[in-house]
Amino acid sequence: MYWLANAFIFRRRYSPIHVLDPRIKLLLSIELFTLSLISSTVIHIGITLAVIFAVAALAKILERMYRTLLFSAAFSILIFVINFLVGYSIITSFVLAVRFVAIVGSTSLFFLTTSPDELEYVMKWFRLPQDVVFAFVTAVRFVPVLMLDAIQIMDAQKSRGLELEKGNFVNRIKKLAPILIPLVVTAVIRSSELAEAMEARAYGAVKKPTSLYTLTLKRRDKVVGILSVAFFAALLIYFFTG
Amino acid sequence: MIEFINVSYIHPTGVKALDDVTIQFRQGEVVAIVGANGAGKTTLVKHMNGLLKPTKGTVKVFGYDTTQQTVASLSRRVGIVFQNADHQLFSDTVEHEVEFGLRNFGFSEDVVKQRVEWALTFFGLKEYANTSPMMLSGGEKKRLCLAAVLAWDPDVLVLDEPTVGQDLLHKEKLEQIIRLLLTQGKTVILVSHDIEFLWPMQPRTVVMNRGKIVADGPASEVFTDDSILSSSRLIKPQLVELSQRLKLDSREVFDNIFTAKRWILSRVRCS
Repeated sequence: MYWLANAFIFRRRYSPIHVLDPRIKLLLSIELFTLSLISSTVIHIGITLAVIFAVAALAKILERMYRTLLFSAAFSILIFVINFLVGYSIITSFVLAVRFVAIVGSTSLFFLTTSPDELEYVMKWFRLPQDVVFAFVTAVRFVPVLMLDAIQIMDAQKSRGLELEKGNFVNRIKKLAPILIPLVVTAVIRSSELAEAMEARAYGAVKKPTSLYTLTLKRRDKVVGILSVAFFAALLIYFFTG
Repeated sequence: MIEFINVSYIHPTGVKALDDVTIQFRQGEVVAIVGANGAGKTTLVKHMNGLLKPTKGTVKVFGYDTTQQTVASLSRRVGIVFQNADHQLFSDTVEHEVEFGLRNFGFSEDVVKQRVEWALTFFGLKEYANTSPMMLSGGEKKRLCLAAVLAWDPDVLVLDEPTVGQDLLHKEKLEQIIRLLLTQGKTVILVSHDIEFLWPMQPRTVVMNRGKIVADGPASEVFTDDSILSSSRLIKPQLVELSQRLKLDSREVFDNIFTAKRWILSRVRCS
């Protein structure tokens, strides 16, 4: 469980990708996402995955991304089976299944290298409403907190004799109640406490709050941005003509 | 009874939470585990019912290696009450909350009824038997968690920060309960930052710092040792401070408020 929770927690690191402007990281992620979506052959999806892994290696997040991908691999097996059963060939079903892994990989690249603060700046840059930005960023920020809560709740209930692994499928589902109820209650308590704390610090008092940080593109951001667009365009041409 | 032999534990994040810990907990003693945040106190107690398994070394509970036992079988004898009550309560009524553990451990229906009745009466929760646990106050929730664990009568009771959110009256009640459990031969292990609560019980005191045990001895020795306290970022109990300011011999340190009162009154009368 700790192992899985760890895959969702953003960790600040120094890497050539982490230091980029979050808008450039978003651009990279969108490009890779698009490549994943249009990959229709084994070679295409192979190239896309190779690029995703190369960027992940550069960002020093290969191990953490591997955990996320392993989790999504279970769904991709399901995608493979369903596509195969409805009449697609083994190769097409395989490409569609691996495409799902590539899509998850391309999006997790952005979230594993972008802090919730940077995410907030990007959303504000897109001029999204303040409340929407706050709600989204808070939700992202609280995912690891909820995971850790779930671990502590499971520990507490196991200490009271709850054996989650025992019993048939129905019994196992029933045994989730002692985990899920405290998890929801804790989340509700935490959100109401957060709302009160935010109000106490004048959240919403002005329509356009000022920001201490502003996004500025540095030279390296511009270089990476231009190179990535050129590389993306070249791959697009190859995918459609090659 | 509970034995840690050269136990190290490396957290999945890579942090070494326990570093070559060797310690024994004996029957019938009250032990306080103290130390700064992140010292490894909770990690240590989570090894006592098998929630965590050592990365290196062996933990034996009543002679059984914890790696060979389930959490449920160990929890039957080692009851842990965790810090956050909201992480444990889920039932529709207080009565059902206490029943939960008893049913998991397979107690018969009449024993379940008897134990629930006893636990709710003992902890002053009888009037809330049919109330939702969510409606209780923070202190009542904490007592309910304690009642829910004591109901199955474990041999060892581990309390993680038991005084958080408790008023003075309930702290005193908790102290009485601990003393009562000790008369029954139970072992009580307290993980706490509340030095003032621990001091009158004069527990065997284990000080942890960065995953290591840096001191293990009677409270009267540990809490009067300035070097241990400062290196572990602990503050001495007020009665120790008072004794030291009065320049008393270390053997004369006030162990509770009444001995301090007697000493002061005797000096006033003399003068």
